[in-house]
This record gives sequence, structure tokens and C-alpha cells, in this order.
Amino acid sequence: MRDSRRPDLDRFPELQRGWDRRQFVKSAAVGTAFMALGGALVRIASDDLSKEARAETRSDGRTRLPPGQRMLEELRPMGGAEGNGDARSFRLRVHGLCKSPFEIDYAGLLKLPQVQKEADVHCVTGWSLIGGLWKGVQIATLAEKAEVKAEARFVIFEAAHGYTANAPLKEATADAAMVTYRLNGKPLALQHGAPVRGLVPDLYFWKSAKWLTGIRFVKADEPGYWETRGYSNHADPWKEERYA
Amino acid sequence: MPEVAEAVVGQTPPSHPATRPPGTGATIKKRWRAWLRAIHRDIGYLAVGFTVLYALSGIAMNHIDDWDPNFHASEQTLHIAPIPDDLSDAEATKRIAAAAGLTGKIDDVFRAGDEVRLTFASGSKVTAIGDTVTVQVRRDRVFFRAADWLHATRGKQAWKFIADAYAVLLLYLAISGIFMIKGRLGLRWRGATLIVVGLAAPIGYLVLSGGPGAQRTERVAARPGEVDPPRPPKPSTDGITPLPPDDDVSPGRK
Repeated sequence: MRDSRRPDLDRFPELQRGWDRRQFVKSAAVGTAFMALGGALVRIASDDLSKEARAETRSDGRTRLPPGQRMLEELRPMGGAEGNGDARSFRLRVHGLCKSPFEIDYAGLLKLPQVQKEADVHCVTGWSLIGGLWKGVQIATLAEKAEVKAEARFVIFEAAHGYTANAPLKEATADAAMVTYRLNGKPLALQHGAPVRGLVPDLYFWKSAKWLTGIRFVKADEPGYWETRGYSNHADPWKEERYA
Repeated sequence: MPEVAEAVVGQTPPSHPATRPPGTGATIKKRWRAWLRAIHRDIGYLAVGFTVLYALSGIAMNHIDDWDPNFHASEQTLHIAPIPDDLSDAEATKRIAAAAGLTGKIDDVFRAGDEVRLTFASGSKVTAIGDTVTVQVRRDRVFFRAADWLHATRGKQAWKFIADAYAVLLLYLAISGIFMIKGRLGLRWRGATLIVVGLAAPIGYLVLSGGPGAQRTERVAARPGEVDPPRPPKPSTDGITPLPPDDDVSPGRK
């Protein structure tokens, strides 16, 4: 059947080019939409891991997988200005509002009381890594050693090239919050913050600063790199606090 | 061509308005669209390299949670007999490198706790922890690493201004594009329709998603701050060096 919108190209051959272009644009639009929808459907249908994690509940009553997240099987490198990754030259300054600030090297860090904890991490871009086994030193241990003053309310994670991220003291010194150097028994890769990164698992993962150089305790909050660029200051994944 | 003939012979030019040479205003009025198109064309040529760089790196980084646009990274885990603490560095290195199957030059051997870390000149890192050896190898994706660095990584100096200049050129391309063609194919119909469609995409997304303020939370405003002065390294005991109290722990410090 003849398309009623089709011009009579036999009588008006000069319209052929315009008609061909219109057909091409329509075909391209339909093809693009089909591919995008198909890709989305494949991604949703094949995401069994996320379905399972959504069905689980944590001990605090929250879902294992926060809203808007999908599960991955390994960490994804999210960029950033890398540190040198060298354990030999690593130094961590623990300072700010504390009576006994100190600087510790990598070997010294390994001599402090170690913990190994299963923790889930959630990236603001939408992926989560569930059940990673992280090893390190609790920030609470560092705080105790530095004799943090009572008026401290926030922790500022300081990292290579001036990167900072802030977190409330209570969340940064929670049981699973630590400075970590191993994931699942392996050393952190450079792109994941080697040799040592922060870990505050109950906040979006950018708070867990890579290539860590310092932990600073402060009284008043100091929004960090991403927090001053439109991202949430608190960053609770269960409240989807992604943006400011 | 009587006017030309008269001019050639040096006679007084005719006083009739239609025969006067056109003034600057008239020339601009007559030629502006042609100039707009010509400048659009030339800036388009200038923008090719920038646009390819920014577009490809933008797509690459947009999907950073699906792939690593900067590096091919691989990690391999092997098992060996645990390295005894009292084994010499040379012997430990020999055993670990042999297990990893790497023979290149080793830049650094570092031992701490139960770890032995080897850094090869090639950039590969091998870490032995107990009986587990992890080999981490990374290679640049040359184009994307450079393009991503130009596109996004902070801390660049002059490039910031070059990128600003490119942004201004893009603005010219966008705005001049509106006026390049007149009539139904221009702003009067097709152009206007497509501009509305183009604007509808971001506006529609903002409306449907709720925008960046959809999950607004309380935040404390950033305050101007200072940078910590560098401190000289001090001798350490057990890896721990006491630090003097910070001089300034006021809220303003960043």
C-alpha cells in the first residue's frame, strides 16, 4: 500500500533527496531507540545479584542494597588524581583536634590493632560491591591513639593532591569504618587507592578517600572536594543523598 | 556601465542614492549571514580536534562504572610457600618473582608486617601476603588516558583557559547555527522545532527526575580555608612519629 505522506516522486523527482533523508532519519531514530531499550532490558533481566541483595535485610533493618543501586562483583576504578601507591613512602597524619597527633608509616600502621570486616560499599554512580572483606585499622583506634578532643564532631579524610572528604565523627568511627589496605586478602590496586584508603561503608563511596594521607578531626564541618561540587554533604545511600 | 565609465574618467560621482557605493552598515546588513556561515565553518574546522577529544572522553567517562577508560588492569593470584620473616630480602624477592613469572628489573622491595611488596621497573606490582602472591599489572589506554586527563582531571594550568576558549567557540557554533539559514528550514520552522526538542531533553529529564535537589539534605556551607604548611619529616619509633598540635584547628581550615 502506498504511503499517503509520500510525495509523488515520479512527478516531482526533485523531492527524492528530501524524502530519502526523512526516511533515513526515521530509521536511525527507531534503530537507536530499539538498541537503547534492548540494552536496558538485557541489563535489568540479567541482574540477579542485585535482586538477591535487594531481598536481604541488614541487622539495622535496612535493605542490603540501597535504592537505585545495582550490584557488581568487583570494584570499579572511578578515576581521580592518583597518589604514588608506594607503601614505602606512605605516611598517614592523624591530627586536628587531638591531644596526641601523630604520623604513622605503613609498617607502623600494620603494627596497630588490625580488624577484618565484611562491608558493603555503594558508589554514587549506582553500583555496589556487597560482602567485600576489608582489612585495616579502625578509625576509632586511630582516634583513641591520637586522644581526640571531646569537641571534635567531624573527620576530614585527606588524600593525594589535596583531595578531601568529610564525614560526621560518629559515622567515621563506626565499627566498620577504617583505614584499609586489603580487600579480600589482596593488597589494594593503585586505581583503588593503594596503599591505604579510607573506608566508611555506610556513606557513598567517594567519602572513602583513596590514596589517603591524613585523618583530621575538626569541630565544624568542612565539605570536601565533591561536596563543594554539587554532591551531598552527608551522602547516605539509603536516603539516596547523592546531590546537594 | 555608465557609472564605472564616469568614475574611470575622474568625473564627479553620481548623486543618486541607488548609485552610491554601499556603506559599512549596508554591507553588514547584506552580508552578515554569509559572514556568520563563513566564521561558523572555520570555527567548525578548529573545533574538530577538541570535539572528538571531548566527545569520546565524555562517553568513556560517562560509562566509567562499566569499564576503566584509562587503563587495562589485570590482577592474578598465585600461591606459594609462605615467606619466613627471617628470609633475606634477596631470597624472598627471588622466590616471589619466580612464582609471579616476572624477570624484569625490580625497583623496590618493601617488607612490612606479613607483606613483601616488589615494584618492577615495568610498573607491575607483586605482593606476597602469607602464601598468597598478587600480581597487579596495568597498561595505559593511551588515547583515552590522555583525553580523559585533558577532559576531567583537576590541577591542570593553561589547559583550563584553552578549554574555556573552546567552550566559547562552541557557544558561537550553537548560536550562529540558529541563524545560518533563513526561511522554513531555518528558525521559522525546522530550526525552531529542533531547538525546542533539544531544550526539551534536559528540561524534561530535570522535571521527571526531580533534578539535583530531589534528595536535598542539610549541608554546611564551605568556608574559606588555608592549606597546611608542609612539615619536616621527623624520626619515628615503630613507624609512629608524634606531631605537635595543629596550630590552627579553626573551622575555616581546609
